Amino acid sequence: MSGIQNSAPTLGARKNVDPGQNAVKRLQTELMQLMTSPAPGVSAFPSADGNLLSWRATIEGPDETPYAGLTLKLSFEFPANYPYAPPTVLFRTPIYHPNVDFSGRICLDILKDKWTAAYNTQTVLLSLQSLLGEPNNASPLNGEAAELWDKDPTLFKTKVMDRHKDIDDD
Amino acid sequence: MPAAVASRWQDRRRRVFQSVFQRELSSPTPQAVPLPSANLSFSQGLQYHSGTGPPVTSGSFYDEDTQDNTQPAFIDPPDQGLLVSHTPSNSFHSTVTAVSQPSQVLFAAPDAGTGDQVAYDNAWRLVTARITLPSSVTSPTSSGTLLADAALPFDAEFCDALAHVVHASTLLPGAIRTDDIFSWHTHQVRCHFSQHVIPLLSGGLDTGSSGDGDPGREGSEQERTKSSHYERHMVIVMGSVRTLEAALRLYSQGFDLLVKGLTHAQSASAFGTPAINVESLTNRFRRDIHALVGNSISQQLTKSLRIILVRLVGNVLGIPSDDDDGARNLESRRPSPPTDDDFKALAARQRLQELVEQLHNVGLAGERFQVLFAEVMNWMMSAFVCGAYAGLWSATDRGDLSSVLNTVSRGTGSSVTSPCIISLMDWVENHFARLSFEVLSRISHDSGPPVTLSDLKTFQSLALSRLSTLRIAELFDIVLAWPDSRGALDDLRATITTSARRLQLTSHFTQALKTRLLHPGCSTLEILQTYIDIIHTFHALDHSKVLLGHVEPSLKLYLWQRDDAVRIVVTGLLASPEEVRAARKVREISKHQAEQKKAGKRPEAGARRGASKRPVVTPTTTGRSSRTPNTTRQRDDLQEPSIKTPGATPIKSKASGTGKLVELALLLNDPTKTRHTLVEDEELDWNDMNWVPDPVDAGANYKRPKSEDVIGTLISALGSEDVFIKEFITIIAERLLGLSDPARFDQELRVLDLLKRRFGEAALQNCDVMIKDIVDSQRLDVAIHRAWDEQRTLTAVTPATMSGHFLRSADKRKKAMLQRQQQQQQQQQLLEPTQYHARILSRLFWPALDREHFLLPDPIVEEQKRYEQGYEHVKSNRKLTWLNQLGTVRVELELRDRTVTVDCTTPQATVIYAFNDSEDSGDDNNTRIETDNKPPAARRTVDELYTTLQMDEDLIASCLEYWVSKNVLRRLRSPAAAAQGSHTYVVIESLSDPIVDDLPTKIDDDDPFSNPDSATATIPQDSGQAVEADTEKPTTTINPKEQERNTMYWQYIKGMLTNASASMPLAQMAMMMKMLIADGFPWTNEQLGEFLAEKIAEGEMEVVSGGKYRLVKK
Repeated sequence: MSGIQNSAPTLGARKNVDPGQNAVKRLQTELMQLMTSPAPGVSAFPSADGNLLSWRATIEGPDETPYAGLTLKLSFEFPANYPYAPPTVLFRTPIYHPNVDFSGRICLDILKDKWTAAYNTQTVLLSLQSLLGEPNNASPLNGEAAELWDKDPTLFKTKVMDRHKDIDDD
Repeated sequence: MPAAVASRWQDRRRRVFQSVFQRELSSPTPQAVPLPSANLSFSQGLQYHSGTGPPVTSGSFYDEDTQDNTQPAFIDPPDQGLLVSHTPSNSFHSTVTAVSQPSQVLFAAPDAGTGDQVAYDNAWRLVTARITLPSSVTSPTSSGTLLADAALPFDAEFCDALAHVVHASTLLPGAIRTDDIFSWHTHQVRCHFSQHVIPLLSGGLDTGSSGDGDPGREGSEQERTKSSHYERHMVIVMGSVRTLEAALRLYSQGFDLLVKGLTHAQSASAFGTPAINVESLTNRFRRDIHALVGNSISQQLTKSLRIILVRLVGNVLGIPSDDDDGARNLESRRPSPPTDDDFKALAARQRLQELVEQLHNVGLAGERFQVLFAEVMNWMMSAFVCGAYAGLWSATDRGDLSSVLNTVSRGTGSSVTSPCIISLMDWVENHFARLSFEVLSRISHDSGPPVTLSDLKTFQSLALSRLSTLRIAELFDIVLAWPDSRGALDDLRATITTSARRLQLTSHFTQALKTRLLHPGCSTLEILQTYIDIIHTFHALDHSKVLLGHVEPSLKLYLWQRDDAVRIVVTGLLASPEEVRAARKVREISKHQAEQKKAGKRPEAGARRGASKRPVVTPTTTGRSSRTPNTTRQRDDLQEPSIKTPGATPIKSKASGTGKLVELALLLNDPTKTRHTLVEDEELDWNDMNWVPDPVDAGANYKRPKSEDVIGTLISALGSEDVFIKEFITIIAERLLGLSDPARFDQELRVLDLLKRRFGEAALQNCDVMIKDIVDSQRLDVAIHRAWDEQRTLTAVTPATMSGHFLRSADKRKKAMLQRQQQQQQQQQLLEPTQYHARILSRLFWPALDREHFLLPDPIVEEQKRYEQGYEHVKSNRKLTWLNQLGTVRVELELRDRTVTVDCTTPQATVIYAFNDSEDSGDDNNTRIETDNKPPAARRTVDELYTTLQMDEDLIASCLEYWVSKNVLRRLRSPAAAAQGSHTYVVIESLSDPIVDDLPTKIDDDDPFSNPDSATATIPQDSGQAVEADTEKPTTTINPKEQERNTMYWQYIKGMLTNASASMPLAQMAMMMKMLIADGFPWTNEQLGEFLAEKIAEGEMEVVSGGKYRLVKK
C-alpha cells in the first residue's frame, strides 16, 4: 500500500520534467562526444543564435565521389522530444543528388521511419556522408539525378558542379 | 551737582541694590541686637555685602523698609545672593536667612507695638542663643573636644522661652511674626555643614589623594597601583566618618535640647497647647541631615570608598587582590571561595560590617553608596568568574575545585552537573548573596529582607551569563584543547540557554575563526584538524548540529579555496595502521608532556590566553601530528617563543610529522563510532528520556542528525561530490599502484565502503574495478609465473636487478599495467627465478595514466616480451601496453667499496643502468658496475643519456638528482659542458676517494677548483630530492590534463567556426562555450584571447574585420 503511494509522486514528477530539457542535455552530451572524438569529414555545432535545438553541420564530400572536394552545409532542427523523434535535416548548400530535392530535403530512412533513439547527430552525418557515395536510386527525389548516376557519371559530375554553390553565413 | 539729582540718583541705586540683595532688609535693628554668635556669622555675610554693594546709610534704609515691610517678610532669598560667597553647597543660601528671620521679626516689633511680639522676640533670642552652633569647627579633633562640653545649659528659662516660641499662636497671640524654631535649626545646620564641615571633608581628601589625579579610573585598577593605597584611602574614609560623626553629634545636641525643652514644656504646662509630635520632628530632622550628608559625598570620597570596598569585598568573596602578600604565584591567584576558617576573610567581613555600620550612622550609606556597592559587587562577580574559571576546562582541573565546595547548593537546577557551575552557584549563594544581604540589611530602611530568594536567582543567572560570556570568548581555545576541554563544554551547554546567547556564541566564534584560523598562515592540514576538533566540540555542545551549521559556512568557503583539502582528507582516511599507531603514540606522549608541564609550571593558561589574541593555532593541536617523540619534544622547547612568531613553528612541526590527517583514519577504525549508525529511528524512540525539541534557531529544512559523523561532515564541507570522487579515485589509483603488498588493502576497502554509503555504488564503481584489477593481475601474475617455471630451463637469467611497472593496452580497450620485479643475486652461479611482476589495469576505469616514452634496458625489454607472451597465452586476443614510468625497481649497485640497494622508479633505474653498460661494452649485461680493475669511473653527460634513453630531459634530470642524493652519482661541473647546458655525471665508486683523485684522469677542461666540486656534490642531496618531488607530479598529472582540455576547447572553436558562423567575435565565442560545455568553461575572455592568439601564431586562425576570428581556409 505504502509502496503504491510512494511511487505515485515519483511518476508525476517524471512527467513534469520539461522534455525540451532532456533534449538539451542530450545534445550537450552529443556535442561533447563530437568534440572529443570527431569523425573525419563531418562536423556539427549549435547555431550561432545559441539555440541548442538548432544546429549547423558540415560534410566534406568524400573522395572518389562526384562530391569530392566540396563542402556541404546542413541544418539540423531537433524536436523537443529528441532523441525519441528524428531531427529535421536539410542541405543548405544546393546539391545535385538523387535523394535530395531542390529545396534540400533528404530522403533517408533513418531520418524517417527507421529512426531510433540510438542514432545521434554523428551517425546521421556519417550516414549522409555515405549516402553521397551510394545514393539509394530505388526511391529518388530527383529522378534525373538517379538516372544520370548510372548512365552518365560525367554529366552527373557536371550537374553536381553546376548546382553546387558555396554558401557563406556572414 | 544739585542735591536733588544726587539723592534721586542715590535712590535709584538703592532700589537696584535692594532688588538684588533683598536680605539687606534684615539687617539688625537697634532694638534687636543680634546675639554674639549669630552676629558673628551674620556679620560675615554683611562684610561681604559691604564689599560689593554701595554704602547705604542706615537711616534712609530703615525708613523705607518700615514702610515697605508692614507684613513680616519671610522672603526666600534668591539663589544668586550669597550663594557665591563660600562653598558650592546648595544649602548655603540659608546662612543669612536662618539667622536673619528673627531679626526681621524684631525690627517690625516697634510698629506692631504689642507686648506679645516683644515677648516672642525675647524668647526667640534666648532659644536661638542656646542652640546656636559654634562658629568654628576647625578640625576633627576640635570637634571632638567640642563634644566634651556637650552639656548645653538646660533650665526653666529656656523651657519657658521655648514654649513661647513653639506655641506662639496660643501663648503670644499678639506676636504676628513668628517662626518655626525647628526649621530654623535645620537651616542653621545646613549653613554650618556647608561652611565648616564640607571644607573639612574635602580638605582631608585632598591630602589623601594627592597621589593620583585620575578620578575616572576603576577602583580595581587603582587598587593595584600600590599596596599602601588601601590604607591611605581607609584613613581618608575614616577621617571623613569621624568628622561627620562629630558634626552630627553637634547638630543633634541642639536638636535634642529643643526636643527636651519641648517635652518638658508640654508635660509641665497646663495651657492646653496643641501637642507637637516629637517623633515626626525627629525623623524629619534626621532625614534632612542624611540628605545633607548624602548629597555632600564628593568624588574623592567615592573613589576612596570604592577602593576600600573592592579590597574588603574581594577578601570576603575570595578574590585575591594584587597586593596580597605571597600572591605572586599565579596558581594561588586564582579566586576561590574562602573557607569558613579563613582568618583573612573573617577579618575583612567584620571590618566591612563595621564600616557599613559607621557609614550608615553618619548617613553616608545612602543611595550613592548603594550604587557604589552594586558596582563593586558587579565587578566582583565578573572578576570571580573570569579569574576562577578561565582556562579551567578539563575535569581533572576541576577535581580540586569541587573539593573546595563545602556546601551543596540547593538553588541550582537538577540538570546542571558541571562542577564549575555548581561551585559558581555555591559561591553566589553562600558568599555573594550572603555578603549582599549583610551589607544591605544594615543600610536598608525597609522592613523586608534586602535580598530575597528571587534576588538570589537573579544573581545566579547573572553569574551564569558571565560564565557563558567567558566560555564563549574562550571557545576557540576550547576547541583547540579538545578533548581535554569537555568540562568547559558542559558549562557552555548549561549556560547557552537563550537564542540570543547562541547567536552570540556563533558570531563570536566565527569571528575568532576568521582571525585565528582562516588565514594564509595556517596550512590546510591545520585547518582541517581544527575543523575536526570543531565538529567534535560543537557536537558535544549541541547534538542538533545547528550551532555547527551556523559556524561552518565561513570555514567551508575558505576550505574551497584550498586545493589540497580534498587530497588531505582522502589520504587521511587512507592512512596506514602504522601511521595511525604512530599518531596515537605521539598523542599520548604529548598529553603526558602537557600534564608534566602543568604539574611543573602553571602559567601555561595565562600564556595561552595571552596568545589567544594572535592568529596562531596554539601548539597543543599541532603536537599531535608530530611523528616522533623527538620532534614533539623539540617543539615543546620552542613553544614559548612560538607565541611570538605566529604560525612559523606549528607549520614546521607539521612538516616534520606525518603531514597526514590521521585523525580520520582513527575515527574510521573506531568501532564505537560505527556502532552509532545502527540506531536509526531516534525520532521515534519513545523511551528516549533525553529527547529535546529541535532548537529554536534551526532552519526550516532542519533535520536532526543521527550522530557526530565527523567524516561525513568533513566530506560534505569539501564541496561537490564529483570533485571529491575524482580526487579519491586518483589517490586510490596511486595507492593501488604503489602498494608493495597488493593483497592488503583493507583500509582502502573500508574507506570505499564508507564513501559508497555516502555517494552510492554507481559513483564509485571505478574503484571496485580498480581493486579487482589488482587482485586479478596478482592471480594472473602467479599463473604466468607458474607457466614459466614449467618451461624454465637453466638458461642464464639476466643479472640486471631491475623491475618495473609497465602497461599495455589491448585491443579490447584494455590496458594493463605490469609491474616487474627482477631480482638477481650477485653470485652468478646461483640462478634465481627472475622477479618480474605486472599489474594489469582496465584502462577505462582508471584515471588517465599517460605513457612516458623512454627506452628500457635490453634485459628488461626481453622480460617484458616474455611476460607479454605469457599473458597472451593466458588471455588470448589481448595485448598489453606498458606504462613504463610507473614501475618500481629494486636496484643493487655494486660499487668499489660498497653495495647500494634501493627501491626506485623505473626511469631512475633506467638512468643508473645507463651508467653500467658503457664500460662493459653493452653485450655483457651480467656485470654491474664492476670497477675493481677499471679505475676510471663511468661518466655520462645528460645529452648522451638523452640520446640513448630517449627520455624526457626533465625526467633525466630528476633521476640524476635522485642518484646524486643517494651518493651514487656526482655531478662534474665542467665549464665546457655547462656552456652547452649539458652536465656530466660520474659514478662515485668509492666514498673515501677524494674527488681530486678523479681530476687527473678526467678530461683536461675540468673545473680546476675541485674542492668546491666535492662540496657541491654532497650539498645537492636535499635540493635534489626536492627537484624530484617537484617535477614528477606536474609531468605526470597536470600537463596532460591541461593539454587534453585545450585540445577539446580547440575542437569546440573549430566546430563553432565551421558550422555556426564562419567568423565570430571573442565575446560571443566565450559565451557559446560557456553555454555549450556541460562541465562549464572556466576561462575568462582574456584567457580565451590568449589561446586564440596562440592559434593565430600557429597559423590556424586569423582575425578579420571587426575583431572577428575565423579559421584559416586551407
